Amino acid sequence: MDVEEVFSSKPRMKILKLLSRLGAVNVSEIARRIGLNYSTTNQHLKLLEAEGILRQRVYGRIRMYKFNEASAKARAVQNLIEAWEQDK
Amino acid sequence: MTPRRSVFKDESKLDINYVPRRLPHREEEHRLLMEFFNFLLRFPERMAQRVIITGDVGTGKTVLAQRFGTDITSEANKQGVNLRYIHVNCREYRGKLFLILQHALTAFRPTFPSRGYSAEEILRIFMQALDEDNAFVILTLDEFDTLIEKEGSEAVYTLTRLQEMRTGKPQRLSLISVMRDLKSTERLDASARSTLQRNVIRLERYLKDQLVDILNDRVAMAFEPSTVSEDVVDLVAELAVSESGNARFAIELLWRAGKYADAEDAGQVEPECVRKAVSSILPTLRRSELTALGRHEKLFLLSAARIFKESQKAYASLSEVEGAYAVVCEEYNETPKSHTQLWKYVQLLSALGILKTSVASTGAHGRSTRISLPAVPTVELERELSTLLEKERA
Repeated sequence: MDVEEVFSSKPRMKILKLLSRLGAVNVSEIARRIGLNYSTTNQHLKLLEAEGILRQRVYGRIRMYKFNEASAKARAVQNLIEAWEQDK
Repeated sequence: MTPRRSVFKDESKLDINYVPRRLPHREEEHRLLMEFFNFLLRFPERMAQRVIITGDVGTGKTVLAQRFGTDITSEANKQGVNLRYIHVNCREYRGKLFLILQHALTAFRPTFPSRGYSAEEILRIFMQALDEDNAFVILTLDEFDTLIEKEGSEAVYTLTRLQEMRTGKPQRLSLISVMRDLKSTERLDASARSTLQRNVIRLERYLKDQLVDILNDRVAMAFEPSTVSEDVVDLVAELAVSESGNARFAIELLWRAGKYADAEDAGQVEPECVRKAVSSILPTLRRSELTALGRHEKLFLLSAARIFKESQKAYASLSEVEGAYAVVCEEYNETPKSHTQLWKYVQLLSALGILKTSVASTGAHGRSTRISLPAVPTVELERELSTLLEKERA
Protein backbone atom coordinates (compact mmCIF):
# COMPACT_ATOMS: atom_id res chain seq x y z
CA MET A 1 0.00 0.00 0.00
CA ASP A 2 1.26 3.48 -0.80
CA VAL A 3 2.13 5.90 1.93
CA GLU A 4 -0.64 8.33 0.96
CA GLU A 5 -3.22 5.57 1.29
CA VAL A 6 -2.05 4.65 4.77
CA PHE A 7 -2.00 8.24 5.97
CA SER A 8 -5.14 9.44 4.20
CA SER A 9 -7.42 7.78 6.72
CA LYS A 10 -8.44 9.79 9.79
CA PRO A 11 -9.23 6.70 11.91
CA ARG A 12 -5.81 5.22 11.11
CA MET A 13 -4.09 8.42 12.11
CA LYS A 14 -6.14 8.47 15.31
CA ILE A 15 -5.08 4.89 16.05
CA LEU A 16 -1.42 5.72 15.48
CA LYS A 17 -1.64 8.79 17.69
CA LEU A 18 -3.36 6.80 20.44
CA LEU A 19 -0.79 4.00 20.41
CA SER A 20 2.05 6.48 20.28
CA ARG A 21 0.70 7.99 23.50
CA LEU A 22 -0.38 4.82 25.38
CA GLY A 23 1.87 2.00 24.16
CA ALA A 24 -0.09 -1.25 23.97
CA VAL A 25 -3.91 -1.08 23.87
CA ASN A 26 -6.56 -3.75 23.27
CA VAL A 27 -8.90 -3.62 20.28
CA SER A 28 -12.16 -2.70 22.01
CA GLU A 29 -10.44 0.05 23.98
CA ILE A 30 -8.97 1.46 20.75
CA ALA A 31 -12.44 1.35 19.18
CA ARG A 32 -13.96 3.11 22.19
CA ARG A 33 -11.33 5.83 22.25
CA ILE A 34 -11.46 6.65 18.55
CA GLY A 35 -15.26 6.40 18.46
CA LEU A 36 -15.62 3.66 15.85
CA ASN A 37 -17.19 0.22 16.02
CA TYR A 38 -15.13 -2.88 16.73
CA SER A 39 -15.21 -4.32 13.25
CA THR A 40 -14.11 -1.13 11.44
CA THR A 41 -11.37 -0.55 14.00
CA ASN A 42 -10.23 -4.12 13.52
CA GLN A 43 -9.96 -3.63 9.76
CA HIS A 44 -7.78 -0.54 10.20
CA LEU A 45 -5.60 -2.37 12.71
CA LYS A 46 -5.16 -5.34 10.39
CA LEU A 47 -4.11 -3.01 7.60
CA LEU A 48 -1.55 -1.24 9.78
CA GLU A 49 -0.29 -4.62 10.92
CA ALA A 50 0.01 -5.83 7.33
CA GLU A 51 2.09 -2.73 6.58
CA GLY A 52 4.41 -3.73 9.43
CA ILE A 53 3.70 -0.56 11.39
CA LEU A 54 1.84 -2.28 14.23
CA ARG A 55 2.10 -5.69 15.78
CA GLN A 56 -0.30 -7.56 17.98
CA ARG A 57 0.10 -9.73 21.05
CA VAL A 58 -2.54 -12.17 22.18
CA TYR A 59 -3.21 -12.52 25.91
CA GLY A 60 -5.90 -15.15 26.38
CA ARG A 61 -9.03 -13.59 24.91
CA ILE A 62 -7.41 -10.19 24.44
CA ARG A 63 -5.47 -8.80 21.49
CA MET A 64 -3.30 -5.80 22.20
CA TYR A 65 -1.76 -3.67 19.47
CA LYS A 66 1.42 -1.62 19.69
CA PHE A 67 4.03 -0.14 17.37
CA ASN A 68 6.29 -2.75 15.84
CA GLU A 69 9.65 -1.66 17.28
CA ALA A 70 11.49 -3.86 14.81
CA SER A 71 10.19 -1.91 11.81
CA ALA A 72 11.93 1.22 10.47
CA LYS A 73 8.59 2.40 9.08
CA ALA A 74 6.97 2.13 12.52
CA ARG A 75 9.79 4.09 14.17
CA ALA A 76 9.54 6.79 11.51
CA VAL A 77 5.77 7.11 11.97
CA GLN A 78 6.18 7.26 15.73
CA ASN A 79 8.84 9.98 15.43
CA LEU A 80 6.63 11.96 13.10
CA ILE A 81 3.68 11.83 15.51
CA GLU A 82 5.82 12.68 18.53
CA ALA A 83 7.39 15.67 16.76
CA TRP A 84 3.97 16.81 15.62
CA GLU A 85 2.42 16.50 19.07
CA GLN A 86 5.34 18.23 20.81
CA ASP A 87 5.03 21.18 18.49
CA LYS A 88 1.36 21.75 19.37
CA MET B 1 4.33 38.67 66.27
CA THR B 2 6.56 36.68 63.95
CA PRO B 3 5.95 32.97 64.36
CA ARG B 4 8.94 30.87 65.37
CA ARG B 5 10.38 28.44 62.88
CA SER B 6 8.82 25.00 62.68
CA VAL B 7 10.53 22.23 64.63
CA PHE B 8 10.31 20.11 61.50
CA LYS B 9 13.00 19.98 58.88
CA ASP B 10 11.18 17.36 56.78
CA GLU B 11 8.09 15.82 58.31
CA SER B 12 7.63 13.42 55.38
CA LYS B 13 10.32 11.32 57.08
CA LEU B 14 7.73 10.54 59.76
CA ASP B 15 5.07 9.49 57.26
CA ILE B 16 3.72 5.98 57.63
CA ASN B 17 4.75 5.18 54.05
CA TYR B 18 8.30 6.47 54.31
CA VAL B 19 10.95 3.77 53.89
CA PRO B 20 14.26 4.78 55.50
CA ARG B 21 17.60 3.68 54.08
CA ARG B 22 18.59 2.09 57.37
CA LEU B 23 16.38 -0.11 59.50
CA PRO B 24 17.86 -0.23 63.00
CA HIS B 25 17.54 -3.65 64.65
CA ARG B 26 16.25 -5.30 61.51
CA GLU B 27 19.65 -5.66 59.86
CA GLU B 28 19.80 -9.38 60.51
CA GLU B 29 16.36 -10.03 59.01
CA HIS B 30 17.28 -7.87 56.00
CA ARG B 31 20.45 -9.93 55.52
CA LEU B 32 18.43 -13.12 55.82
CA LEU B 33 16.03 -11.95 53.10
CA MET B 34 19.02 -11.12 50.89
CA GLU B 35 20.31 -14.67 51.52
CA PHE B 36 16.96 -16.22 50.62
CA PHE B 37 16.77 -14.29 47.35
CA ASN B 38 20.45 -14.29 46.48
CA PHE B 39 19.84 -16.70 43.60
CA LEU B 40 17.95 -13.94 41.76
CA LEU B 41 21.24 -12.14 41.26
CA ARG B 42 23.09 -15.20 39.96
CA PHE B 43 20.70 -17.57 38.19
CA PRO B 44 17.26 -15.96 38.33
CA GLU B 45 15.53 -18.36 35.95
CA ARG B 46 16.30 -21.49 37.90
CA MET B 47 14.22 -21.03 41.00
CA ALA B 48 11.54 -19.02 42.76
CA GLN B 49 11.41 -18.32 46.46
CA ARG B 50 8.64 -18.08 49.06
CA VAL B 51 9.13 -16.33 52.36
CA ILE B 52 6.72 -15.45 55.13
CA ILE B 53 7.34 -12.43 57.37
CA THR B 54 5.34 -12.38 60.60
CA GLY B 55 5.23 -10.06 63.59
CA ASP B 56 2.90 -7.90 65.65
CA VAL B 57 1.70 -4.45 64.63
CA GLY B 58 4.56 -1.96 64.37
CA THR B 59 7.37 -4.52 64.31
CA GLY B 60 8.54 -3.34 60.90
CA LYS B 61 7.20 -6.10 58.61
CA THR B 62 6.07 -3.83 55.81
CA VAL B 63 9.03 -1.49 55.93
CA LEU B 64 11.45 -4.43 56.01
CA ALA B 65 9.87 -5.95 52.91
CA GLN B 66 9.88 -2.60 51.10
CA ARG B 67 13.48 -1.78 52.03
CA PHE B 68 14.57 -5.21 50.92
CA GLY B 69 12.56 -4.84 47.69
CA THR B 70 14.28 -1.58 46.80
CA ASP B 71 17.73 -2.92 47.66
CA ILE B 72 17.53 -6.20 45.79
CA THR B 73 15.96 -4.53 42.76
CA SER B 74 18.77 -2.02 42.49
CA GLU B 75 21.37 -4.77 42.98
CA ALA B 76 19.71 -6.97 40.32
CA ASN B 77 19.38 -4.11 37.85
CA LYS B 78 23.07 -3.31 38.28
CA GLN B 79 23.77 -6.89 37.23
CA GLY B 80 21.49 -6.65 34.22
CA VAL B 81 18.63 -8.72 35.71
CA ASN B 82 15.21 -7.24 34.96
CA LEU B 83 13.79 -7.66 38.47
CA ARG B 84 10.75 -5.77 39.76
CA TYR B 85 9.48 -5.62 43.32
CA ILE B 86 5.72 -5.26 43.68
CA HIS B 87 4.17 -4.62 47.09
CA VAL B 88 0.42 -5.18 47.39
CA ASN B 89 -1.70 -4.76 50.47
CA CYS B 90 -4.28 -7.54 50.13
CA ARG B 91 -6.75 -5.66 52.30
CA GLU B 92 -6.76 -2.74 49.88
CA TYR B 93 -7.81 -5.19 47.18
CA ARG B 94 -10.48 -6.75 49.42
CA GLY B 95 -8.49 -9.98 49.62
CA LYS B 96 -9.41 -10.86 46.02
CA LEU B 97 -6.64 -12.61 44.14
CA PHE B 98 -7.78 -11.40 40.72
CA LEU B 99 -7.65 -7.76 41.86
CA ILE B 100 -4.22 -8.27 43.40
CA LEU B 101 -2.88 -9.87 40.23
CA GLN B 102 -4.49 -7.23 38.08
CA HIS B 103 -2.61 -4.60 40.05
CA ALA B 104 0.64 -6.54 39.58
CA LEU B 105 -0.05 -6.83 35.85
CA THR B 106 -0.44 -3.05 35.47
CA ALA B 107 3.24 -2.70 36.42
CA PHE B 108 4.02 -4.40 33.11
CA ARG B 109 0.96 -3.75 30.94
CA PRO B 110 -0.53 -0.51 32.27
CA THR B 111 -3.31 -0.35 29.67
CA PHE B 112 -4.49 -3.93 30.05
CA PRO B 113 -8.30 -4.01 30.33
CA SER B 114 -9.34 -4.47 33.91
CA ARG B 115 -12.55 -6.44 33.71
CA GLY B 116 -13.79 -9.91 33.03
CA TYR B 117 -10.92 -12.19 34.00
CA SER B 118 -10.52 -14.94 36.52
CA ALA B 119 -7.47 -14.96 38.78
CA GLU B 120 -6.05 -17.91 36.82
CA GLU B 121 -6.40 -16.09 33.51
CA ILE B 122 -4.73 -12.96 34.84
CA LEU B 123 -1.94 -15.01 36.34
CA ARG B 124 -1.36 -16.69 32.98
CA ILE B 125 -1.34 -13.31 31.22
CA PHE B 126 0.96 -11.88 33.88
CA MET B 127 3.43 -14.73 33.36
CA GLN B 128 3.23 -14.25 29.58
CA ALA B 129 4.08 -10.56 30.03
CA LEU B 130 7.05 -11.53 32.24
CA ASP B 131 8.23 -14.02 29.61
CA GLU B 132 7.94 -11.38 26.89
CA ASP B 133 9.89 -8.82 28.91
CA ASN B 134 12.29 -11.41 30.35
CA ALA B 135 11.39 -10.02 33.76
CA PHE B 136 11.38 -11.45 37.28
CA VAL B 137 9.10 -10.36 40.09
CA ILE B 138 9.12 -10.47 43.85
CA LEU B 139 5.47 -10.05 44.78
CA THR B 140 4.86 -9.09 48.39
CA LEU B 141 1.38 -9.84 49.65
CA ASP B 142 0.96 -7.65 52.71
CA GLU B 143 -1.88 -8.49 55.13
CA PHE B 144 -1.86 -11.92 53.53
CA ASP B 145 -4.42 -13.09 56.12
CA THR B 146 -7.08 -11.15 54.20
CA LEU B 147 -6.38 -13.19 51.07
CA ILE B 148 -6.57 -16.46 53.00
CA GLU B 149 -9.77 -15.34 54.67
CA LYS B 150 -11.44 -14.39 51.38
CA GLU B 151 -10.14 -16.99 48.99
CA GLY B 152 -8.75 -19.81 51.10
CA SER B 153 -6.48 -22.58 49.93
CA GLU B 154 -7.25 -22.33 46.25
CA ALA B 155 -5.71 -18.88 45.82
CA VAL B 156 -2.57 -19.88 47.71
CA TYR B 157 -2.37 -23.06 45.69
CA THR B 158 -2.76 -21.14 42.42
CA LEU B 159 0.11 -18.85 43.34
CA THR B 160 2.49 -21.39 44.78
CA ARG B 161 2.05 -24.24 42.31
CA LEU B 162 2.24 -21.94 39.33
CA GLN B 163 5.47 -23.36 38.01
CA GLU B 164 4.01 -26.83 37.69
CA MET B 165 1.85 -25.48 34.85
CA ARG B 166 4.95 -24.01 33.23
CA THR B 167 7.33 -26.90 33.13
CA GLY B 168 10.43 -26.15 31.13
CA LYS B 169 9.86 -22.38 31.34
CA PRO B 170 11.92 -20.02 33.50
CA GLN B 171 10.77 -19.40 37.07
CA ARG B 172 9.79 -15.78 37.32
CA LEU B 173 7.56 -15.16 40.32
CA SER B 174 8.76 -15.20 43.94
CA LEU B 175 6.49 -14.45 46.87
CA ILE B 176 6.80 -12.72 50.22
CA SER B 177 3.74 -13.10 52.43
CA VAL B 178 3.39 -10.64 55.29
CA MET B 179 1.05 -11.36 58.20
CA ARG B 180 0.77 -10.89 61.94
CA ASP B 181 1.04 -14.56 62.83
CA LEU B 182 0.80 -17.96 61.25
CA LYS B 183 -2.57 -18.74 62.79
CA SER B 184 -4.47 -17.84 59.64
CA THR B 185 -2.46 -20.36 57.63
CA GLU B 186 -4.08 -23.07 59.76
CA ARG B 187 -7.21 -22.50 57.67
CA LEU B 188 -5.37 -23.70 54.59
CA ASP B 189 -5.38 -27.31 53.58
CA ALA B 190 -2.19 -29.25 54.17
CA SER B 191 -0.91 -29.09 50.59
CA ALA B 192 -1.42 -25.33 50.24
CA ARG B 193 0.24 -24.81 53.63
CA SER B 194 3.23 -26.93 52.79
CA THR B 195 3.90 -25.02 49.56
CA LEU B 196 3.87 -21.77 51.47
CA GLN B 197 5.75 -22.31 54.67
CA ARG B 198 9.32 -22.80 53.65
CA ASN B 199 11.04 -19.82 55.17
CA VAL B 200 9.52 -17.87 58.01
CA ILE B 201 11.03 -14.68 59.39
CA ARG B 202 9.53 -13.74 62.72
CA LEU B 203 9.96 -10.13 63.83
CA GLU B 204 9.96 -9.74 67.60
CA ARG B 205 8.49 -6.71 69.33
CA TYR B 206 10.94 -3.83 69.73
CA LEU B 207 12.46 -3.24 73.14
CA LYS B 208 12.77 0.24 74.57
CA ASP B 209 16.42 0.78 73.62
CA GLN B 210 15.69 -0.36 70.10
CA LEU B 211 12.81 2.09 69.84
CA VAL B 212 15.13 4.84 71.07
CA ASP B 213 17.54 4.03 68.20
CA ILE B 214 14.72 4.07 65.64
CA LEU B 215 13.39 7.37 66.98
CA ASN B 216 16.84 8.96 67.04
CA ASP B 217 17.27 8.12 63.36
CA ARG B 218 13.93 9.70 62.51
CA VAL B 219 14.59 12.74 64.69
CA ALA B 220 17.83 13.40 62.80
CA MET B 221 16.00 13.20 59.47
CA ALA B 222 12.75 14.94 60.31
CA PHE B 223 13.52 17.61 62.92
CA GLU B 224 15.67 20.71 63.08
CA PRO B 225 18.78 20.26 65.26
CA SER B 226 18.28 20.58 69.03
CA THR B 227 14.50 20.63 68.86
CA VAL B 228 13.97 17.14 70.31
CA SER B 229 15.77 16.28 73.52
CA GLU B 230 16.91 12.84 74.68
CA ASP B 231 14.26 12.95 77.38
CA VAL B 232 11.53 13.42 74.82
CA VAL B 233 12.79 10.51 72.72
CA ASP B 234 12.93 8.41 75.87
CA LEU B 235 9.39 9.33 76.84
CA VAL B 236 8.06 8.47 73.39
CA ALA B 237 9.91 5.14 73.42
CA GLU B 238 8.53 4.38 76.89
CA LEU B 239 4.99 5.01 75.72
CA ALA B 240 5.53 2.86 72.62
CA VAL B 241 6.82 -0.01 74.75
CA SER B 242 3.55 0.02 76.64
CA GLU B 243 1.91 -0.20 73.21
CA SER B 244 3.62 -3.59 72.64
CA GLY B 245 6.80 -2.12 71.22
CA ASN B 246 4.94 -0.60 68.31
CA ALA B 247 7.40 1.51 66.27
CA ARG B 248 4.66 2.87 64.04
CA PHE B 249 2.91 4.22 67.13
CA ALA B 250 6.20 5.75 68.36
CA ILE B 251 6.82 7.54 65.07
CA GLU B 252 3.26 8.79 64.80
CA LEU B 253 3.43 10.02 68.38
CA LEU B 254 6.66 11.87 67.68
CA TRP B 255 5.09 13.54 64.65
CA ARG B 256 2.03 14.61 66.63
CA ALA B 257 4.19 15.95 69.44
CA GLY B 258 6.03 18.04 66.83
CA LYS B 259 2.70 19.34 65.58
CA TYR B 260 1.73 20.38 69.11
CA ALA B 261 5.09 22.11 69.49
CA ASP B 262 4.49 24.05 66.25
CA ALA B 263 0.90 24.90 67.18
CA GLU B 264 2.13 26.37 70.45
CA ASP B 265 5.08 28.07 68.82
CA ALA B 266 7.29 26.32 71.36
CA GLY B 267 10.39 26.13 69.19
CA GLN B 268 11.15 22.67 70.51
CA VAL B 269 9.27 19.48 71.33
CA GLU B 270 8.66 19.46 75.05
CA PRO B 271 7.49 16.50 77.15
CA GLU B 272 4.15 18.25 77.57
CA CYS B 273 3.72 18.14 73.76
CA VAL B 274 4.20 14.37 73.92
CA ARG B 275 1.61 14.08 76.69
CA LYS B 276 -0.87 16.10 74.67
CA ALA B 277 -0.11 14.03 71.60
CA VAL B 278 -0.64 10.75 73.40
CA SER B 279 -3.99 11.83 74.76
CA SER B 280 -5.03 12.88 71.27
CA ILE B 281 -4.28 9.49 69.74
CA LEU B 282 -6.91 6.85 70.07
CA PRO B 283 -4.97 4.46 72.29
CA THR B 284 -5.37 1.22 70.42
CA LEU B 285 -6.44 2.63 67.16
CA ARG B 286 -4.66 4.40 64.35
CA ARG B 287 -6.62 6.44 61.88
CA SER B 288 -5.10 4.40 59.05
CA GLU B 289 -6.64 1.26 60.51
CA LEU B 290 -10.06 2.87 60.69
CA THR B 291 -9.79 4.16 57.14
CA ALA B 292 -8.94 0.68 55.90
CA LEU B 293 -12.17 -0.78 57.30
CA GLY B 294 -15.00 -1.52 54.87
CA ARG B 295 -18.15 0.62 54.97
CA HIS B 296 -20.23 -1.88 56.93
CA GLU B 297 -17.34 -2.65 59.27
CA LYS B 298 -17.27 1.08 60.04
CA LEU B 299 -21.05 1.18 60.46
CA PHE B 300 -20.91 -1.79 62.81
CA LEU B 301 -18.10 -0.27 64.88
CA LEU B 302 -19.98 3.02 65.02
CA SER B 303 -22.98 1.13 66.44
CA ALA B 304 -20.77 -0.42 69.12
CA ALA B 305 -19.28 2.99 69.97
CA ARG B 306 -22.75 4.46 70.37
CA ILE B 307 -23.99 1.59 72.55
CA PHE B 308 -21.07 2.00 74.94
CA LYS B 309 -21.26 5.78 74.89
CA GLU B 310 -24.93 5.85 75.75
CA SER B 311 -25.17 2.94 78.15
CA GLN B 312 -22.01 3.44 80.26
CA LYS B 313 -21.85 -0.36 80.32
CA ALA B 314 -18.63 -2.26 79.94
CA TYR B 315 -20.13 -5.09 77.92
CA ALA B 316 -22.84 -5.53 75.33
CA SER B 317 -24.23 -8.60 73.62
CA LEU B 318 -23.93 -9.06 69.87
CA SER B 319 -27.70 -8.76 69.52
CA GLU B 320 -27.67 -5.39 71.30
CA VAL B 321 -25.02 -4.10 68.90
CA GLU B 322 -26.92 -5.66 66.03
CA GLY B 323 -29.99 -3.63 67.02
CA ALA B 324 -27.96 -0.41 67.10
CA TYR B 325 -26.37 -1.34 63.78
CA ALA B 326 -29.80 -1.61 62.12
CA VAL B 327 -30.53 1.97 63.24
CA VAL B 328 -27.14 3.23 62.01
CA CYS B 329 -27.72 1.54 58.64
CA GLU B 330 -31.05 3.33 58.38
CA GLU B 331 -29.32 6.60 59.17
CA TYR B 332 -26.73 6.03 56.42
CA ASN B 333 -29.26 4.60 54.01
CA GLU B 334 -27.63 1.18 53.84
CA THR B 335 -29.14 -2.30 53.87
CA PRO B 336 -27.99 -4.12 57.02
CA LYS B 337 -25.78 -7.16 56.55
CA SER B 338 -26.74 -10.57 57.89
CA HIS B 339 -26.04 -11.86 61.38
CA THR B 340 -23.31 -14.17 60.05
CA GLN B 341 -21.62 -11.25 58.35
CA LEU B 342 -21.75 -9.21 61.57
CA TRP B 343 -20.13 -12.08 63.39
CA LYS B 344 -17.28 -11.89 60.91
CA TYR B 345 -16.95 -8.15 61.59
CA VAL B 346 -16.70 -8.90 65.32
CA GLN B 347 -13.91 -11.37 64.63
CA LEU B 348 -12.07 -8.91 62.39
CA LEU B 349 -12.40 -5.99 64.79
CA SER B 350 -11.21 -8.10 67.68
CA ALA B 351 -8.28 -9.36 65.60
CA LEU B 352 -7.39 -5.70 65.03
CA GLY B 353 -7.54 -5.17 68.80
CA ILE B 354 -10.39 -2.66 68.60
CA LEU B 355 -13.13 -4.80 70.11
CA LYS B 356 -12.75 -7.56 72.65
CA THR B 357 -14.96 -10.59 72.87
CA SER B 358 -15.61 -12.96 75.73
CA VAL B 359 -18.05 -15.79 76.24
CA ALA B 360 -20.70 -15.32 78.90
CA SER B 361 -22.82 -18.07 80.33
CA THR B 362 -26.51 -17.23 80.22
CA GLY B 363 -27.86 -20.17 82.22
CA ALA B 364 -30.61 -22.08 80.48
CA HIS B 365 -30.01 -20.35 77.16
CA GLY B 366 -26.44 -21.55 76.91
CA ARG B 367 -23.55 -19.27 76.07
CA SER B 368 -23.45 -15.90 74.37
CA THR B 369 -20.74 -13.57 73.20
CA ARG B 370 -20.06 -10.36 75.07
CA ILE B 371 -18.42 -7.49 73.28
CA SER B 372 -16.40 -4.73 74.89
CA LEU B 373 -14.47 -1.69 73.72
CA PRO B 374 -11.74 -1.64 76.34
CA ALA B 375 -9.26 1.03 75.39
CA VAL B 376 -10.80 3.33 72.83
CA PRO B 377 -12.66 6.45 73.98
CA THR B 378 -16.13 6.09 72.52
CA VAL B 379 -16.62 9.81 71.84
CA GLU B 380 -13.47 10.03 69.76
CA LEU B 381 -14.18 6.77 67.99
CA GLU B 382 -17.69 7.92 67.12
CA ARG B 383 -16.37 11.24 65.85
CA GLU B 384 -13.64 9.63 63.73
CA LEU B 385 -16.01 7.07 62.22
CA SER B 386 -18.73 9.62 61.51
CA THR B 387 -16.21 11.85 59.72
CA LEU B 388 -14.93 8.95 57.63
CA LEU B 389 -18.43 7.78 56.75
CA GLU B 390 -19.50 11.29 55.80
CA LYS B 391 -16.43 11.63 53.58
CA GLU B 392 -17.30 8.35 51.85
CA ARG B 393 -20.85 9.54 51.33
CA ALA B 394 -19.61 12.80 49.78
